[in-house]
Amino acid sequence: MEFVQYLVNILSLGGIYALLALGLAIVFSIVGLINFAHGELMTIAGYLIVLSLSFGLPLPVVLLVACLGAALSAVLMDRIAFRPMRSASVTTLMITSFGVSTICKVFFQNGVSARGRAVALPEWMSGTLTFGGFQIGMVPLTSIALTALALIGLDIFLRKTTLGVAMRAASEDFIMVSLLGLRANTVIATSFAISGLLAGIAAILWISQRGSVDPLMGFTPVLKAFIAAIIGGLGSLRGAVLGGFVLGALEVGSEPFLTTGTAPYRDALVLLAVVLLLLVKPDGLLPAVRGLRS
Amino acid sequence: MLRVEGMKIRYGAVQAVHGVDLNVGNGELVTLIGANGAGKSSILAGIAGSIPPAEGKVLLKGQPLTGLPADVISRKGIALTPEGRRVFAHLTVGENLHLGGAAFAKGNELRARRDSMLSRFPILAERIDQKAGSLSGGEQQMLAIARSLMSQPDLLLLDEPSLGLAPQTIDKVYELIEDLRKQGLTILLVEQNVELALSVADRGYVVANGRIALSGTASELASSDLVRQAYLAI
Ligand SMILES: Nc1ncnc2c1ncn2[C@@H]1O[C@H](COP(=O)(O)OP(=O)(O)OP(=O)(O)O)[C@@H](O)[C@H]1O
Ligand SMILES: [Mg+2]
Repeated sequence: MEFVQYLVNILSLGGIYALLALGLAIVFSIVGLINFAHGELMTIAGYLIVLSLSFGLPLPVVLLVACLGAALSAVLMDRIAFRPMRSASVTTLMITSFGVSTICKVFFQNGVSARGRAVALPEWMSGTLTFGGFQIGMVPLTSIALTALALIGLDIFLRKTTLGVAMRAASEDFIMVSLLGLRANTVIATSFAISGLLAGIAAILWISQRGSVDPLMGFTPVLKAFIAAIIGGLGSLRGAVLGGFVLGALEVGSEPFLTTGTAPYRDALVLLAVVLLLLVKPDGLLPAVRGLRS
Repeated sequence: MLRVEGMKIRYGAVQAVHGVDLNVGNGELVTLIGANGAGKSSILAGIAGSIPPAEGKVLLKGQPLTGLPADVISRKGIALTPEGRRVFAHLTVGENLHLGGAAFAKGNELRARRDSMLSRFPILAERIDQKAGSLSGGEQQMLAIARSLMSQPDLLLLDEPSLGLAPQTIDKVYELIEDLRKQGLTILLVEQNVELALSVADRGYVVANGRIALSGTASELASSDLVRQAYLAI
């Protein structure tokens, strides 16, 4: 019972990290950008949920609006802030993304509200399901199902569609892809759209576990996702997913060993474990294919 | 078919190509020969648009390509098979071929192009689901050329297709190049193996220090003092 409960918690928390880390990794593998504004995509999705709920839209439409809104915002971020900097160095791009992140946060705080807004979950989500003696909450269960669906969907996209195959090729050798006549900006825009879509799904799961939206809500999960992406090997997609679940497992799995005295140090202890892991495997668990990028 | 006028290429402060003029006629096989670092690959990259020239003009069938990005130039009919082959190592042979044609054909037409490429290269057909990175050097070169041919280009730019290959494999690659030429494909071939290049080419240019040092028909070049002394070591 205990074990199953932990497993469910690991999968539902790790799944959120995995989706976010995957979004970071997809963009990094193709554009060489570590997008620190990724968290703001979550926040945008969060506010879109609040907004469309206030219009009384049905839940599936609300979720669709959140995901598509985040995807569109990611594409716009690229179009407005990153495309003009296409030939810039990795560091310059990273600083640009800090700028984008700050602008978004200030806008949410001043233009929307500095305080959090509660999000009312639909009735059925607060319930539990019973599986052969185990009681499992609907929230983690939906999280796991949605995560699995997103990961499988992305895998099929990357293997079966021309655009997906081109994205995998672009992570190896971007210039070669354009030498084949494939539109570079379409490949890049798609990678941003997918990262936004994944951030939107992650936001839905995160909000369903926390029940509120605030201007800084994206910061912590994306920081964790960044750590997860590094655990897995920055730029490696499989690595990002694995890293997300490993980080989830470290966080959830450390709980029974923590006392009231050590509990506040949980994140520090988890990070210590990550540092030790990186000492053994400096390139992460599943290192990225080394492309032409330095 | 192709005309290059006054092409200059810079890498930051380093100038690699100092005003090169060349032209390639319809159905011709023209070669660029020259030593390491002479600027041959830079010229091809300048034509294909993967490195935008700092100055000069590139015209394909009279149409200016100057300043266009690589993907647009490719769709206008120029395919580059770059130095070092650059197949997508983690994609399968089939996926590599698919991407080669995806910007030019869809659905059944794309499949038909792929199937005709596979019957031309049986070795690739056998390895269709294998990762390209697991192929031998010669097989990767064949795949790189096949991937370029998927676009059915008007002009094929080949950069050192013999590099690092065993002698029998080089023979096979050159048989293929001669075949393509016989079918009427226009080819601009870069080679360090001067004897080999001049044996298949109609005309050639000798590139030295980013300039054209000499040009002429293949037989003129093969008998010129410069080529004999500097590149054929006769
Ligand atoms: N990316 C680059 N950055 C800086 N300098 C470069 C770059 N690529 C080439 N060069 C320089 O430009 C000059 C021409 O190089 P290029 O690769 O065009 O020569 P090449 O004739 O193809 O040589 P090789 O036969 O060795 O392939 C060389 O001096 C080289 O060092
Ligand atoms: Mg070269």
